[in-house]
Amino acid sequence: MSPSSAPTRSTRSQEFWAGVRQELPLQLGVAPFGLVFGVLGIASGLTPLQTVLLSSIVFGGASQVVFAQLWGAGVPAPVVGASVSVINLRHALYSASIAPYLRSLPLVWRVPLAYLLTDEAYAVTINRLRNEPSSPHQHYHLVGTGMTLWVCWQITTVTGVMFGATIPQSWSLGFAIPLTFIAIVAPAIRRRADLAACLVAGIISVLGQPLPWKSWIILAAIGGIAAGYLTHRHGVREAVS
Amino acid sequence: MIWLVMIACGLFTFATRFVMFSDIAPRQLPGWLQDALGFVPIAVLTAIIVPAVLIPPDGGLALTGNARLPAALVAITVALVTRSVLATIITGLLALWCLDWLVY
Repeated sequence: MSPSSAPTRSTRSQEFWAGVRQELPLQLGVAPFGLVFGVLGIASGLTPLQTVLLSSIVFGGASQVVFAQLWGAGVPAPVVGASVSVINLRHALYSASIAPYLRSLPLVWRVPLAYLLTDEAYAVTINRLRNEPSSPHQHYHLVGTGMTLWVCWQITTVTGVMFGATIPQSWSLGFAIPLTFIAIVAPAIRRRADLAACLVAGIISVLGQPLPWKSWIILAAIGGIAAGYLTHRHGVREAVS
Repeated sequence: MIWLVMIACGLFTFATRFVMFSDIAPRQLPGWLQDALGFVPIAVLTAIIVPAVLIPPDGGLALTGNARLPAALVAITVALVTRSVLATIITGLLALWCLDWLVY
């Protein structure tokens, strides 16, 4: 057993507060997104209650934005559901990567921990699980990161819902949503396959505009994933041969 | 109706997070699936970004006379340099406002 995996006796509260502390800086990016989602939900025609509860029922930023836009445009329910589902499929990756550390916990723990497994909570907690000594209370770290994000997301959604109507249209605040995603995507493009996924998704999203039910979202997503995957596999095969 | 769809979306989203925590889950996702899922964020977010930048709220693809395009380029540069979400949002919005008032 390597020194870094020797168990420690960290307490529940040490783990929890470490999670909270490490998650807080990320709220600088989460808070404006939550605000803008609150504004957008109302602008798309959802009621305040629907907008706020979407943030706890689905609890996934990008998919909530798409839900509001599609529902507001009168897109049929199955297309809304399919689009949201494709967007959220990525969580299966986080679930797989974090499962070895949590699988031995009882179900009453695994269910709430899964609910809290968002992009930002995963990113912070997987660092702790991989790089610091394991502890019987290490799952409290995910409680800390997950709860921090959850509380921030709910508060900012409510704030956006309450004050959205007072923000003039000319401020173009809705542009903060693509800007948030630019901040995530631009630094994430490192390999040729990433670029292929980005280009194909971008092109389909524009060319597909005339298609009914805003189905360009789901088509661009699937096309981008396929382009990235095929480019990646091609690269691997070349490297092997 | 909307509540049903919201709850269905919520349940599915929860399922994607819980799937590998379950007692019957395999130890690992198949390699090809892991590779493919790795491209979901880039593909999905790009599909939201590009129309939001190139197609203004009043409709129609606009490559010229569209302040959102240069503002997005500023934001991409800031994102690559700072890797900060907040800095990207602030400079992108400032760029959009300046361009709106000064040029377009």
